[in-house]
Amino acid sequence: MNFLQDFATYLEFQSAELIQATIEHAGLVLVSIAIATVIGVGLGVAVYQTDRPAKISLAVVGTMLTIPSFALFGLLTEPFGLGATAAVIALVMYGLLPIVRNTVVGLRSVDPAVIESATGMGMNRWQRLARIELPLAWPIIITGVRVSTVITVGIAAIAAIINGPGLGKDIFRALARIGSPFAVYQALAPVLGIIFLGILFDVFFLVLRRLTTSRGLR
Amino acid sequence: MTDETNARGAQGDNQVMIRLERLEKRYPGQERPAVAELTMEIPEGEIVILVGPSGCGKTTTLKMINRVIEPTSGRILLEGDDVTNADPDKLRRRMGYVIQQIGLFPHMTIAQNIALVPGLLNWDKRRIDLRVDELLDLVGMDPSDYRNRYPKELSGGQRQRVGVARALSADPPVMLMDEPFGAIDPITRDRLQNEFLRLQEEIKKTIVFVTHDIDEAIKMGDRIAILREESSIAQYDKPEHILSNPADSFVEDFIGRGASLKGLNLQRVRDVEFAHWPTANHTATRGEVLEALRRSDQGAVLLLDEQRRPRRWVDARDLDRTDKPLVETGLRPEAIVTGATTLLDTLNEMLKSRVACAIVADDSGAYVGAVDIDTIMESIQSMRAAAREQSRLLAGAEIGEVSS
Repeated sequence: MNFLQDFATYLEFQSAELIQATIEHAGLVLVSIAIATVIGVGLGVAVYQTDRPAKISLAVVGTMLTIPSFALFGLLTEPFGLGATAAVIALVMYGLLPIVRNTVVGLRSVDPAVIESATGMGMNRWQRLARIELPLAWPIIITGVRVSTVITVGIAAIAAIINGPGLGKDIFRALARIGSPFAVYQALAPVLGIIFLGILFDVFFLVLRRLTTSRGLR
Repeated sequence: MTDETNARGAQGDNQVMIRLERLEKRYPGQERPAVAELTMEIPEGEIVILVGPSGCGKTTTLKMINRVIEPTSGRILLEGDDVTNADPDKLRRRMGYVIQQIGLFPHMTIAQNIALVPGLLNWDKRRIDLRVDELLDLVGMDPSDYRNRYPKELSGGQRQRVGVARALSADPPVMLMDEPFGAIDPITRDRLQNEFLRLQEEIKKTIVFVTHDIDEAIKMGDRIAILREESSIAQYDKPEHILSNPADSFVEDFIGRGASLKGLNLQRVRDVEFAHWPTANHTATRGEVLEALRRSDQGAVLLLDEQRRPRRWVDARDLDRTDKPLVETGLRPEAIVTGATTLLDTLNEMLKSRVACAIVADDSGAYVGAVDIDTIMESIQSMRAAAREQSRLLAGAEIGEVSS
């Protein structure tokens, strides 16, 4: 019981800073995901009708996910310096794969008969995309965004290593003083914050998906 | 038969709506064209059926008319204008398009589906709303009930009706239909075919209709083009002429044996003489009904309601029963047809309800007369006699040629 009491005292003492860090963390993730969504959906739309460009794009964004996060954050400081910019770029790179893949899969899963009748009714390429294909692929695309977000919430903690914002800072501080009684609390609090954010975003996107999907598709 | 009469489908009395000129489609890497130099005229206001074995190029031909498939060479003329190189999207808005899978937009309501093309054409909202309701009425679906439903909430037959309504939305002069009833169960298909024919009597569109089913072709077509490989026309004529006078052995094989029986699909109830049964008002006394029965040589009386709609068949045995009111005895009239029903459908109705007589009713459901199984048998016999006569004449002509 002692541990929990002490931890509670710690949280109380640090609450203002923790809340501030959680908000920063959420902001970092949301900005990155917004950019990743624009790029990812755009890329998906550009390549879904073709075979090789689609495969190449997916291979490239897939490879990005395999770069160890420490290394990527480190590499990006060379052109972009320390701070939020490099952090956002790294997170966008990590967030792309699920979004691009689901955009391609979603657009390809639209019933060919639906596309043929849209064409036969006199809709041009863009009308078809905007009014038929994207709305039909939307539930799948938004699921990709959701997966991306949850991945990014965790990886964003590493951004602290290049002086990025968010909950990672406390984790690195705790690592610096392993052995001291505070270290555990100092690491545990941001981890709980990250889990909380992960669940929050997950629920947020589930609700958003439900609200933005036509009743005819449910 | 010369190429030119073949293209016209034997003297069209109507204006030409669509003319295809030496239309050809070649796919890269294939030696033979899918469609080779097809020349054909589609008269205004008629249903023209393209029918042929699978792979004969009939669907490719249809899809070249609205250029969903672009022709390799040749010309397409719509109302005299060369539209081969016109803006394809504008062209398509002048032609309704119905495909077998229908392809309703699942994320849109029925009203939004139908409103799409008028929306593309920038109609104002009030006009679109009125048009949606008008079309739903036209295809027999109550607008207040169906307007806001989604495609997944409809049955296959209802989706098909919405598909037709959607194709008609901007009132195009032409409708292209690719096996529109192909994926529907036989009973519903029959009903939809009849509904569609009734609808066409009102809307008088120029319709190009693809099917692989010769029976459907005979039933639906004002004119039938029987196609063989590369979409070359084996025979293009009115269905009764194709049945009585197939151009060659390919056509003969395609329409199959029992071509005379297929003629039942051409003859309609209004073409035959009706039988008459004694009738009585459903409130009549037993005495009055018995009197009506005695005065006729038939074995039963048909009870009618105030609007003269059939209520019950009763015979002498039913008249003896006094435990129930008269209208609750006897048989419910089941096989009820209209003047536009084909004799084949009438025969089907009789078989389904296991009676030897179908009641003919008018549009309001009021009794007009009856068709009995003997009438249908007579029709079959006269058609067979005509077919025998035809083949005797043909055989005679051949012998004549040999001997001369």
